[in-house]
Parts: sequence; C-alpha cells; structure tokens
Amino acid sequence: MIGKERVLDILKNVISLSSADQTEALFMGEESYLTGFANNYIHRNVGGKDCSLSVRVAIGKKVGSAMVNSFSDDAVKKVVHDAILIAKNQRENLDFVSFAKPEKRKDKDFFVEATANCTPEFRAEYVSKILSKTKAKGFIGSGKFETNALEVAVANSLGVERYTKLTISTLKSVVLTDTSSGYSEYSSIDVNKIPLDDIIRESVEIAEKSQSPVPVEPGKYEVILTPYALADLIGSLSYIALNARAMNEGMSFLIGQIGKKVVGENITMYDDGFSRETISLPFDFEGVPKKKVMFFDKGVVKGVVYDTLSAYKEGKRSTGHSLPQPNPYSPYPMNLIMEGGESSKEKMISHVKKGLYVQRFWYTNPMDPRNTIITGMTRDGLFLIEKGKITKPVKNMRFIENIATMLNNVLELSKERKIIYDTASVTAPYARIKDFTFTGKTEF
Amino acid sequence: MQEIVESALFTAKRAGASYVDIRSIQREEEDITTKNGAVDAIKHTGSKGFGVRVIANGGWGFSSSFIATPEEGERVANEAVQIALASSKTKLEDAKMSDSKVYQDRVPQPVKIDPFEMPITKKILILLEADKAMNVHGIVVRKGSMHFSKEWKTFASSEGAYIEQERIVSGAGISVVATDGKEMQVRSYPNSFGGDYQRKGFEFIEEMNLVSHGKEIAEQSIKLLSAKQCPSGTMDIVLESPQMALQIHESVGHPTELDRVLGEEASFAGTSFLTTDKLGTFKYGSDIVNITADATIPGALGGFAYDDEGVKAKRVYLVKNGIFVGYLNSRETAAKLDLEVMGAMRADNWNKMPIIRMTSINLEPGDKTFDELIKGIDHGILMGTNKSWSIDQNRLNFQFGTEIGWEIKNGKIQEMVKNPTYTGITYEFWRKCDGIASKDFWHVWGVPNCGKGEPMQVMQVSHGTAPARFRDIQVGVLK
Repeated sequence: MIGKERVLDILKNVISLSSADQTEALFMGEESYLTGFANNYIHRNVGGKDCSLSVRVAIGKKVGSAMVNSFSDDAVKKVVHDAILIAKNQRENLDFVSFAKPEKRKDKDFFVEATANCTPEFRAEYVSKILSKTKAKGFIGSGKFETNALEVAVANSLGVERYTKLTISTLKSVVLTDTSSGYSEYSSIDVNKIPLDDIIRESVEIAEKSQSPVPVEPGKYEVILTPYALADLIGSLSYIALNARAMNEGMSFLIGQIGKKVVGENITMYDDGFSRETISLPFDFEGVPKKKVMFFDKGVVKGVVYDTLSAYKEGKRSTGHSLPQPNPYSPYPMNLIMEGGESSKEKMISHVKKGLYVQRFWYTNPMDPRNTIITGMTRDGLFLIEKGKITKPVKNMRFIENIATMLNNVLELSKERKIIYDTASVTAPYARIKDFTFTGKTEF
Repeated sequence: MQEIVESALFTAKRAGASYVDIRSIQREEEDITTKNGAVDAIKHTGSKGFGVRVIANGGWGFSSSFIATPEEGERVANEAVQIALASSKTKLEDAKMSDSKVYQDRVPQPVKIDPFEMPITKKILILLEADKAMNVHGIVVRKGSMHFSKEWKTFASSEGAYIEQERIVSGAGISVVATDGKEMQVRSYPNSFGGDYQRKGFEFIEEMNLVSHGKEIAEQSIKLLSAKQCPSGTMDIVLESPQMALQIHESVGHPTELDRVLGEEASFAGTSFLTTDKLGTFKYGSDIVNITADATIPGALGGFAYDDEGVKAKRVYLVKNGIFVGYLNSRETAAKLDLEVMGAMRADNWNKMPIIRMTSINLEPGDKTFDELIKGIDHGILMGTNKSWSIDQNRLNFQFGTEIGWEIKNGKIQEMVKNPTYTGITYEFWRKCDGIASKDFWHVWGVPNCGKGEPMQVMQVSHGTAPARFRDIQVGVLK
C-alpha cells in the first residue's frame, strides 16, 4: 500500500501539471492474491501488485483521458500531456458540463489489516481444510480463496479530494461428485470473518444430496431461489435497467414508470454504498460520495443511479455511481441491496406443493433487455420439492424468465440475506416465486 | 529488461524453484467511442510490468509487479517461490511439464499503417461519418468504436528460452438501437460486441468501410421493429459467418480446452463433456465438419509466433471429418495425457498466469456457395449477427439469439423476422451440419473479449468461418 499522503500528493501533482480548464486524477492501487484449487489440490496460486493513474482533462467541452500504471515523475508528466493532447484533438461533447464538485461527507475506510496481510500459507491452510473434507467423502474440491487490498483516491481541480483503502476476501467452494456438484461462497472485508465451516458444510451437503439427478420436464414451476440465484437475476437489472444510461438509451423497462408500481409490494430494492450489508466503497470513481438510491419502494419505481455526465444532462446531481471514466457501462449500482421478508428457507420449502429449489444460475444473459427477458442454466444443485419437502435431485435446466414479471410473482422472502460479491456487490434473500419458466434440459 | 530477467531467474532458482519463467509486457492502447453524433470518449492507456511463474517443491506459484527494477524482480521471484511452496502443501503429485523445443527469437509484426501514427482526428472523422450514415429517423442510439493496441512482450525461462514478440491489433465496429417505446432492436456491423479485430494496422479499419454500412444497419433495425416474430418449431437453419464464429467459440473452442476437461476450471467456467475417453473416437459432427486450432494464420487475432510457455505457434485439428481428434493444451496438461503440446497457453497481461486459451479456432471451408445452402431448404431461417448467448457449464445445452433473421421458403430468402433464437445439444447440433460455404465466403473474425479463469482474464481469440447449414434445429421465439 502506498498510503494516503503520498497518493494524494501524486494526484495534486497531476492537477498542478495540467493546463486544462478542468483536471481530474484517479488512482487505484491493488495487492491481489488468489489461491485456486481443483482436483483436490492447489493448482493456481497467483498474486501481485498493480496500480493505475487515470487523468481526465476538459478544455471547454473537449474531454480527453489517459492512463498509466506508474507514478514516476516522467510517467505523470506524460499521462497529463497525453490527456491534454487528446482533448485538443477531440470534438466538443455538448453534454459535458463539469467534473464533480466537492461535497461534504467524511470518507470511511473499509480496511482490515488481517486481510491485507494474508499470507499464501494462511490461504493454503483454509483450502486444506476444505480438501480434507472432500477427500474424506471421495469428492473433488475446487474453488478459490482471494484476498485483495485496494487504495482508491480521486482529486480534481474543482476541489474534490478523496482517499480510501479497503479490503475484500472471498472464499468459494465448488464440490464435484461423479454425478453432481455443490456450491458455496462468502465475501467479507475481514478474512477472519469468512465462515469456513459453513462454506464446507453447504458445498459438500449440496453436492452429496444432488447425486444421481433425474430429469424433469420443462414448464412453469414454483421455485425457491437461494440468494446466489436471486442475486444473479436482480444483478442483471443493474446493467439493463437501474441506471441513467439504460434510461437514456431506451433499454430500461423503467422508462416512463417512475412513481408507478411495476413490481410486487413485497419488493424493496436500493443501492447503498454505506450500508453494513454490502461490500462498500464510500465514493465513486469521480470522487462523489455514494448516496442511497431507492429503485423499488414496496413495488413503486423511485429512481435510478447517475454519474456526473448523466446527472448534468438531466439537471440532476450525481448519485455517486460513476465507474472509472470514460466508461460505456457507467453509471452502475455497485451496492445493490434487496430487502428481505419474514420467512425462512425452511418455511418456504414447507409451503411448496410441487416446485424446484435452485442453488445457483449460470451463464445468465439478457435476450431482450427492454422487456427484461433473461435466459440461463441452473448449476451446482437443483432439487424437486414435493409436498413441502425436498424429494430428489434434478438434472440441470434452462430457464427463460421475464425478471419484471418474476418480481411480481414473489410469494415469500427470507429474513436471512447473503452478500454476493463479484465485481459489484448484490445482497439478496431467499425467495419463493411462482410460475418460473424452464424451457429446456441438459444431460447432467 | 535483461537485468530484471536475470535477477528473477537467478533469485527464483536460488530460492528453490525447479522451473522459472518470466514474462514482461509493455503495452499501449487507444480507445475511441462515438455516440449519437459526438465523441463519447477517447482514452490512451500505457502499461508495463512483469510476472514470474515458478515450480517449487512440485507446486505452482506466480507473482507480478508493475515496478520494473532488478530489486523488484528479486522480490517478486522470492514471493513466487513462497506462493509455490504454499501450493505444494496440498499437492497430490509434483507439477511437471512436457518437453518443448527451446527457442531464442525476436519477432516484430510489420503493419502497413501503424495505427498510432494515424491522427486521432482521422479516426474520429470515420466514426462520425458512419454515425451520420446511421442517423435515420427512429434510431435512438448510434454507437461507433475503434480500438488499437501495440505491445512488446519478452519471455525467458530457466530452460534457456528468450523470445521477444510484437503484437499490433486494430479493431472497430458500429451499432444502432431502434425502439418504438415497447421493444428495442439492435443491428451491428461488421459484428456485434465491438465489431471485428485483427492483428493488423490501420489498413484493416479502412478495409471495413464502416461508413458505407451505416445506413443499411439503421434501416434494418427500424424494419425489425415491425417485422414478424421468428416462427418457432423444428426447422433447418443457415447461420451467417459472424454467428458461426460465436457457435464455434462456445460449442467447440471452450469444450476442447484441456484444463476444463481435467477439472481445472470447475470452480468458475465449468468442465467439459469432452472427457478424455472420447479423444479419437467421438463423433463430434457430421463428416464434413473439420475444425482446426491455427495460431499461424496471418493477421488472425488468436494468432501469435509463440505462446506464453515459449511453444511455437501451430496448426492442429480438433475435429477431423467429424471425429474429435485434439485438445487445446498446455505443457502441463499435455504431459498428463502424454500428448504433443500444441501451444495454447496465454495470459491477457503481465500480471496474470497463462492458462489454456483458444488460438484461432476455425471451421474449415466447405464446397457450397451461399445460394446453394439456401436452395437446399424448404422451410427454415437464415440467422445473422449474434445478440445473446448462453450455454451450460459442460458446454452441452446452448441457446443463442441473433439480431436478425430471414425466413427461407422453397429455397429462397423471404421476409425478415425478429428475435430469432435456436437451441440444441452441442454434438447433436454439429452432427446436423450438412453444408458449409466455400473459402470464398470464409472470414476470420476477431473476438477480443473471451472471458475465462480466476482471476478473470479477457483474451483475444479468433474464428475462421463461412456460412453453414444445419438440419432440424429447435428454433424458438420470444413471446
């Protein structure tokens, strides 16, 4: 880690070297380590240090960007020079008004020393415990144990100056048998809060119980989706619906729906970068503090997220959801949270006469983003529920589902929720949903 | 660089590594995007760094850094060995690699027009002229993009390899979105998701003729809004060349990766139905299906001179006369099955450890004209550019959608249809291939965004394809 003082000095130096009307500098530093395992041994064990210094300048309405992974004096001078040269050769972007203006909100670190200082030996020890269990069962253990320490800082010539450091650790276990697989995953800023025993138990139990699956016919089923499965589906809305870009490009199903009830009354969903129930970043990559943005409040559409460019275009304020600019996917909800209900996984299962329990989806992809139609496969645990009990494992199936319709068909939500972290964080409960559409089968 | 190489190799060996390689990359990239008549973004990126891969006490370790000094080379080499020793605590056997000829070579990549010498203003002009051509009433989003990269890579190993190679890539594409408020339709040229890419200079962009195709895709996307839904049922289909690239990528490229087959990607990407007992005997497709992995095709995005283990580029068959005959492999996986190494190990940058990646995976040309493919169909669908894709983790059940389709009746292309999708089981689908267009219709498509691995790596690969016909395929429709 380079440290707050030095990083901010680098960014201030960038701004002082720039002759542009406005200058923004973004620094990201990382020390990332990943211990990968497969076939009951560690097969890929990697790590390293990298950084990026991104400079964005505006000359009038001409904007140019350059990035380098160094902060030597020569590199800093060159990256500023390149950004200005690009801006000078650029055409005017009539939508551009300004980079972010300073806002009062205290930065917060989400940093745990134990995660930042995690050793390969520590990761190997955790992995060994998983593999001891899988080997004892005659199964195959695979997965990853990842520990990352990050520094993010943004400064601009308008007075924005922000720095944070954070850590993220993720342990994933995918257990294979001859005829099945099971899955469990957990992310935390604190490596010592990873519930190793729970991860082992869940992934081994699902793999064990889903052996020798039987085929069932495609059709509409009542389903229970785990937080992993539900997070996959609602997470897709982040890209295709819940942001100003999707609204402006005609892609979002929320166009013209603000203030209207479009999903079930039991659906409340928002983005909150400061919540304890997410993997947090206190500000976005333009240096704007994260604001809580409500998407659905008891089913009623409330709003979407903005970055500076999309906000100025509509005469609004950025909600603090910019990705590193320039970026075709910005703005983007990085901390999507769905509120839970009063039920539990066990109660939900007991309420299903005939249905399917889905541990996880895979390769979900929008077929028709405007109508939120998504396809994908089940993976790592699919079970038939009959008369309130899980009765048998089922071979994997393809689904095609309208997510907006699905959010009107939610019968129950659990109190328990899980944080699923990939490049963004999605917090989701278990859900019991009626009329979920499966359209095809596969061979395993 | 020489000092860092020597420092890392010496340090790792001294720390107990039985094998060491070091790979450094210096890369320059330029991205230009336009949207609705304006330049959306221009970004220049420079990066450099190195990674050290070792085997120590029979375990693998890899570490990397952006600080290019001999002292950092020493620190990184020591860390790689420390990581490898941690790996070895769980080893079932010592990691070993197949023998491979050791090369010392220097391979520059000549291009006709260096894309970094071409003024940005000219690049902007092409994209904005294409944007103007796409500016048809009813279009809500017009996008254009260009990407250029130039890298210099050095690979050295404790076996004595020392290879330097240059890689210059150019790519571009345009797309439109039309909407009537209820639905949206997209069209792209020359392919979706960024267009087409090759290891060539700016001459490749000029050959694409983006501007002359702008109006056509805009008008098609508007027409799609009122087009009839693609019929559903079991029928014959012809896939145009860009969609064939996606078909090959998902249902041949990924399942033939030997690391997947051996379970090494089970945690994320999945495994493969192509288990090792199928090698040499499994009927993958019909007799006319011949699929190669060829890293030697000039200009192909998936090509190179040497892979990231120092193995010289090769052309091998994966499927020959319909029979599955080869895997994409690495020195380690080749050793496990006693196969000849074919050179498919690549990393997407200096800070990633190489994994098995597609090179250029190609459906070899057939003997039909495009018209002959169409003439042979009583009722079917001609499907164009890819719009959506999904396939299970063993690469069996797939469902793909295309931007556009046309109904075929009595051997003739009829009216346009929207939202075409088709689904199948990989080997059943390829066994139903009964016509492949000839080399006159063959094109090598650059795919710049193939994701795989943990940590995720995004690789540039390519697919040589011609239009092909498949019988009795399940065609679906969005409702």
